Amino acid sequence: MDLLIQLALNGLFNGAHFALLAMGFALIFGTTGVVHFAYGPVYAVGAYAIWALAALVGLPFWAAVLVGVAFTAALGVGCYLFIYRPFEISGSPPFVVLVASLGLFIVMKNLIGIVFGTGVKTVDSVAYNVHFVGNAFFTTVQVGQVAAALLVGCGIALFLRASRYGKAIRAMADNREMATVIGIDTTRLSILVFALGSAVSAVAGALVLLRDGLNPNMGFGAVFVAFVAVIVGGVGSLRGAVIAAFLLAFVQSLGMWQIPTEWQNTIVFVVLFGFLLARPSGIVRRA
Amino acid sequence: MSKRTLFAALVLTSALTGGAALAADPAVYKIGGIFAMTGASPHYGKVMSAGAQLAVDEINAQGGIDGVKLQLVIEDHKSGSAQAAVAGMNRLIDVEGVKAVLPSFSTVTLATMPIGDQKKVMMINGGGVSAQTVGTSPYMFNIRSMASDLAAGIAHRAAEQGAKKLAQIAIKSEFGDATIAATTKAWEGMGLKMVAAEQFQADAANIDTQVAKLRASQPDAIANWPTTPQAGLAVKRMRELGMKQPVYCMEWTAEDTKVAGKHAEGVEVVTDYFAATDENPWSKRFADAYKAKFGEMPDFYAANYYEGVYVIAELIRRAKAKGGDYYSGERLVQALWENPTFDSVYGKTLTFRKNGVAQKPVAVFRLENGEQKFVKFTSGE
Repeated sequence: MDLLIQLALNGLFNGAHFALLAMGFALIFGTTGVVHFAYGPVYAVGAYAIWALAALVGLPFWAAVLVGVAFTAALGVGCYLFIYRPFEISGSPPFVVLVASLGLFIVMKNLIGIVFGTGVKTVDSVAYNVHFVGNAFFTTVQVGQVAAALLVGCGIALFLRASRYGKAIRAMADNREMATVIGIDTTRLSILVFALGSAVSAVAGALVLLRDGLNPNMGFGAVFVAFVAVIVGGVGSLRGAVIAAFLLAFVQSLGMWQIPTEWQNTIVFVVLFGFLLARPSGIVRRA
Repeated sequence: MSKRTLFAALVLTSALTGGAALAADPAVYKIGGIFAMTGASPHYGKVMSAGAQLAVDEINAQGGIDGVKLQLVIEDHKSGSAQAAVAGMNRLIDVEGVKAVLPSFSTVTLATMPIGDQKKVMMINGGGVSAQTVGTSPYMFNIRSMASDLAAGIAHRAAEQGAKKLAQIAIKSEFGDATIAATTKAWEGMGLKMVAAEQFQADAANIDTQVAKLRASQPDAIANWPTTPQAGLAVKRMRELGMKQPVYCMEWTAEDTKVAGKHAEGVEVVTDYFAATDENPWSKRFADAYKAKFGEMPDFYAANYYEGVYVIAELIRRAKAKGGDYYSGERLVQALWENPTFDSVYGKTLTFRKNGVAQKPVAVFRLENGEQKFVKFTSGE
């Protein structure tokens, strides 16, 4: 029973991390239609920037996170304006943009290794505690992951529902052509969602820096999880992406209760494959 | 020079070389290295290539082999990609014309071994520990202890410290599978109980589920088999989660110490013994030169690949001394079996056993203040 509780807790914490990544990716993909695979290395660069600011420049960690999040938002906007936007203007088909995003992924991933080195980066200046509930345990960083997912999720939901820009983003996600017809500036909104989505990924990156440390390959797993969560959750639904992220994490964790852990990834994708067969439009169906 | 004089000179030269066929020296002796230069574990590629390059530089500084320089040609297997390794191996042989290759990682060594066997190119592995590399090709040699040797060493160490129940964690790979099997065999062979064997994917950053299952199995000791940097991450996780059991590894690098931080303290590493000492002048000279060039002390991987280049250079010398068309994988292997003993940077000499594995001292080290401190030699065979 102790193990089951522990695995459930792990699912919750990993789900929070996946949810943060999925929210950022869903914002970008759901609104602009760009399959932004370079989201993975953007997330990694954001985390490395926070590490550099904290470990090399010597900023307090919270200040490094603030500057790092802003930097990552700018990097995301740069990806859109300099890589994807020219293809949009020229009317290139979506698969061309997809190939461009894969190319960007590889370039950025290699640049991380060149600029920061290929070794693991950690931050020693931030101490955190381990907490026990009965025989189960969790760390302050993991609590931070849940808190960040909650805060970011609520913040984005509020922004999308209550603000003028948020409503415009929802309109654009629903029907881009119609949004353009009624006078919504879709380019400006694309810039906004690339900034927001990338900033959210940097929050996830900051917490992973504390929890596991950084390596140049961390971007692949991140964008993979985010992409799967968005597809399973239902493209265009932020709520669906969050639910799918937690589902993915719980299956990955609880699924190993009575099964050897070497099956972890296999079991996850067998379950998800079955789920998509049964419900191909995802968890949250759009009207 | 008249034709008659030239003919006389050829006859004389032929007589002086004992009638052996004349073979021209190559412009340069190229040695291949297939290392993890990128991917999840580039630390290994960095230290292995550094060790090998240092040996090449030293030999060249002394005039090479009778005036012919060595050149290290590196291919990147991206931390275990068999596809990249096979492509690299083919390039080394078909394009670069190497006669000897230094592979690394079990998966890579196993994937490239059939090519070496088919094309008769000598291979000296100083990194992978899979028992499957042993005894399957006459061109394959190992200058590090195999998983079975190290697993036996760790089983003995854990048992002598009072452990009755052992749990294992490893990456899902040829290395991980081989190590888990070897440890289970050694441990259960002593009549003791294996309570868990958990595995995860090579690129996994999050191993909380695996560690939770290790903890739930309530072991007396943990055999920690991941490679860098996950070895350090696993220790960090175990310690954070209140697991105070002794942890034994056969892989531990400075990267792992960085990842594990204060939790690295007390971890024991049972592995090939390399230490620069005053009693062993070559080890001291190597360590000093390595530190001067790369800014850090060499680990045993750097030492293995440094030594691998020296072994190959010595084999070329011996094969050349025998005359004929000496520069081939077959002649290098022949030269090795004619005398399987070589000077060793580990101290004194190393001798290849009949299975192609060099016997090396296996020792227990303990992590103290970030440094690996020698504890004792242990049974490792």
